[in-house]
Amino acid sequence: MRRLGSILSNDSHARPFVILIGCVALLAIADWGRGEVFTIATAVTTLETFGTIGLVALGLGLTMMIREFDISVVGMFSMAGCIAVLTGHNPWIGLACATGIGLAAGLVQGLIIVRLRLGSIGVTLGGLLVFAGVAYVVSENRTIAYDNIQVALAMGNRIAGVFSIRSLTAIAIFILAALVIGMTRIGRDVIATGNDRRGAMTAGVNVHALIVGIFGFSGMMAALSGALLSFSLASASPSGLSDVIVPAAAAAILGGVSLAGGTGRPLGIAAGVLTLGVIHAGLNAIGVPPYVDEVTMGAILLLVGIADGPYPLRRLRQTARALKQPT
Amino acid sequence: MSIGSTGSVLVPSMPRPAAAAPAAWRRPVGLVRLAVLAALAVLALTTPGFLSEPSMLALMTTVSFIGCVAVGMTLITISGNIMSFSLGALVGATAMIFIVAVNFGGVVFGFVAALAFGALVNAAQGLVIGLVRANPIIVSIAATALITGVAEAFAEHGTIYVAAGTSYGIFRGKVAGVPIEFLVLLGAAAVGQFILVCTHFGRNIYMLGASFAAAEIVGIRTWRTVTGVYLWAGLFAAFAGVLLAVRYDAASMTYGAGYEYDAVAAVLVGGTAIKGGEGSVTRTLVGAIVIAMVQVVLLLQGFRPEWQYLIAGLIVLAMVMLQSPGVRE
Repeated sequence: MRRLGSILSNDSHARPFVILIGCVALLAIADWGRGEVFTIATAVTTLETFGTIGLVALGLGLTMMIREFDISVVGMFSMAGCIAVLTGHNPWIGLACATGIGLAAGLVQGLIIVRLRLGSIGVTLGGLLVFAGVAYVVSENRTIAYDNIQVALAMGNRIAGVFSIRSLTAIAIFILAALVIGMTRIGRDVIATGNDRRGAMTAGVNVHALIVGIFGFSGMMAALSGALLSFSLASASPSGLSDVIVPAAAAAILGGVSLAGGTGRPLGIAAGVLTLGVIHAGLNAIGVPPYVDEVTMGAILLLVGIADGPYPLRRLRQTARALKQPT
Repeated sequence: MSIGSTGSVLVPSMPRPAAAAPAAWRRPVGLVRLAVLAALAVLALTTPGFLSEPSMLALMTTVSFIGCVAVGMTLITISGNIMSFSLGALVGATAMIFIVAVNFGGVVFGFVAALAFGALVNAAQGLVIGLVRANPIIVSIAATALITGVAEAFAEHGTIYVAAGTSYGIFRGKVAGVPIEFLVLLGAAAVGQFILVCTHFGRNIYMLGASFAAAEIVGIRTWRTVTGVYLWAGLFAAFAGVLLAVRYDAASMTYGAGYEYDAVAAVLVGGTAIKGGEGSVTRTLVGAIVIAMVQVVLLLQGFRPEWQYLIAGLIVLAMVMLQSPGVRE
C-alpha cells in the first residue's frame, strides 16, 4: 500500500496507469459480477470516447508539454467537422481538406507565436474565434447533414467486437506519437523545451521549429478528430461540439502532463483519456442523466487543475493557514 | 506559477537590443487604431439606416448585455488572468436564479439573490485561482462545465418563465430615449473604472498583472486581490444576466452563450493588453461599441449574420498580433 502511495505521489509516469487501473477496478467492484456495468458495451463506449477526445488531448497535451496551451482546438474541432462534411462526398477528400486546413492553421498560429513573441493563449484565442467564425460562415449557422451515408455506416461498424475506425485511428496515432517521443530526439527536445526554454536553446534545440511543429500537429489532430466525429454522426454543426476541451484538458493533466511544462508522455495521456472514458462509460451504464456526466468532467478538471503544479499539499496547507488568519 | 497567471508563456525572453524598440513599434499601432476607427465611423455614417432609431436602439441594447460582462472581464484581464471562460455560463445561470428568486420572493429579492449568486460563484473561482494557485484558464473551463451541468439538473425544460403579474416593467423603459440597459452599463463601467483608478485595490490589480512576483514581494496579499477581481467580475456579469431576464421575462442557459468570447473581444479591441498590467474599462467600452457597430453595419450592408463571428474573430486575432512586444531581432 505504501508502495502504491509512493507511486502516486512520486512517479509521474506510472501514476496515470495506476489511476486507470483503479478506475477499472472500481467499475468491476460496482458491477460485482452482475454483468450490468462491466460489459462489452462499456468497453465500446470507452473506446469511442477515446476516439473522440484522445487525439485532441494528445495535441493539447503536447502543447502543454512545451509550456504552451492551444485553446484553439475547440474552434478547430467544429470547423474541421463542417469542412469535412461539406467537402467530403468522397470521404478521403473531405479528410484531406479538414486535416490540411487544420495543419496549416496550426502552423500559422505557431509562426505567429514564435515570430511576434506572443503568448500562446492570446494567439490561439484569436485562432479559436476565427475558426469558430469560419465554421459559422461555411455552415450558414445550421446543422449540415452528411450526404454519404455509406461512410457514416462504415464508421459505426465494430471491428473485432469493440473497436471502430475512429478508435483504431486514435490508437495508431498514439502508438506512433509514443514511438517518436520515446525513441527520437524530438521527445527529448520537447521535454527540454518545456523545462527550460533558454537552456534548451543554448543546448542546440531548434525551439522555434519545435513550437511551430507542435502547434501544427495539435491543429491537425483536433481537425482529424472533428472530421471523423462528424462523419460518424453524419452531420456537423458550428456550435454543438465545443465540450471537447473539458475532457481533453482533464485527460492531459490526468495523464501526467503539467501546465508548467516539461513532463508527460503520449502513453500517459492515453491512460488519462481512457480513465475519463471509463468514468463516462460507467456513468452511462448506471443510467445517470447527461448532466451528471458534465458535472463529473468539470469536477475532475477542477481537481486535477488544483493538484497540478508544484507541491499541491503544501499549497493547500498554506491555503488553510491564510484562511484562518483574521487580518 | 504556471502558465496563465504570468499572463503568457512567452517565447524566451531574449535580451532586447534596445529598450526603445517597443515604443517605435507602438506608435504606428496607435495610428492604425485611429485610422481604423475613422474608417469605421465613415462606413457607419454612410450606411443607410445606421442612424435610424431602431438601429441605434438595437446597438445600445446589444452593447449593454455584452458590455457588462466585458467590464468584469477587463478586471480579470488586467489582473493577469487572461480571461474567464465561465462568464457566459454565469450570465445564463444568474438570469435563471433571478427568475426563480423573483417568483419566490419578489423583485427586490430577485435582484439581491442574482447579484449575490453571480459574485459568489465567481469569487469561489477567484479563491481557487488566487489562493490555491490553480491555472485560471483551467479553473474557468472547469467552472463552465460545472455551472452548465448544475443548471441543466435544475431546469429540465431548458427555459424558465417569470410568473404572470410580476411588475418590473419600468426596467425595460427608456430615460430620455436611452434604454435603461445602456444606463446600467454606463453605471457598471463607471464603477469598474473607479475601482481601477481611484482605489488601492485597483492599483493592486494593475501591479498583479504587471508582475505577480513583484506584487508578492512588496507584500500585496495576492489572493485577496485575485478573489476581489473575480467577485467584481461575477457581479458585473450578474448585471448582464438580470438585464437579459428582465428583457425577455424568462431565462435559459442559452442567454449567455458565447458572451465570454464577445466580452474578451471587446477587451482586446479596446486595447487592453492580454498579458495583463495595463488597460482600462473605458477602453473596453470603446471596444464593445466598435464591435457592435461592426455587427450593425454588416447586417445593414446585407451580410448574413454569421459573418459577424468571423469578422470579430479576425479583429481579435489582429489586436493580439498588434500587441507584440516588438519585432523579433
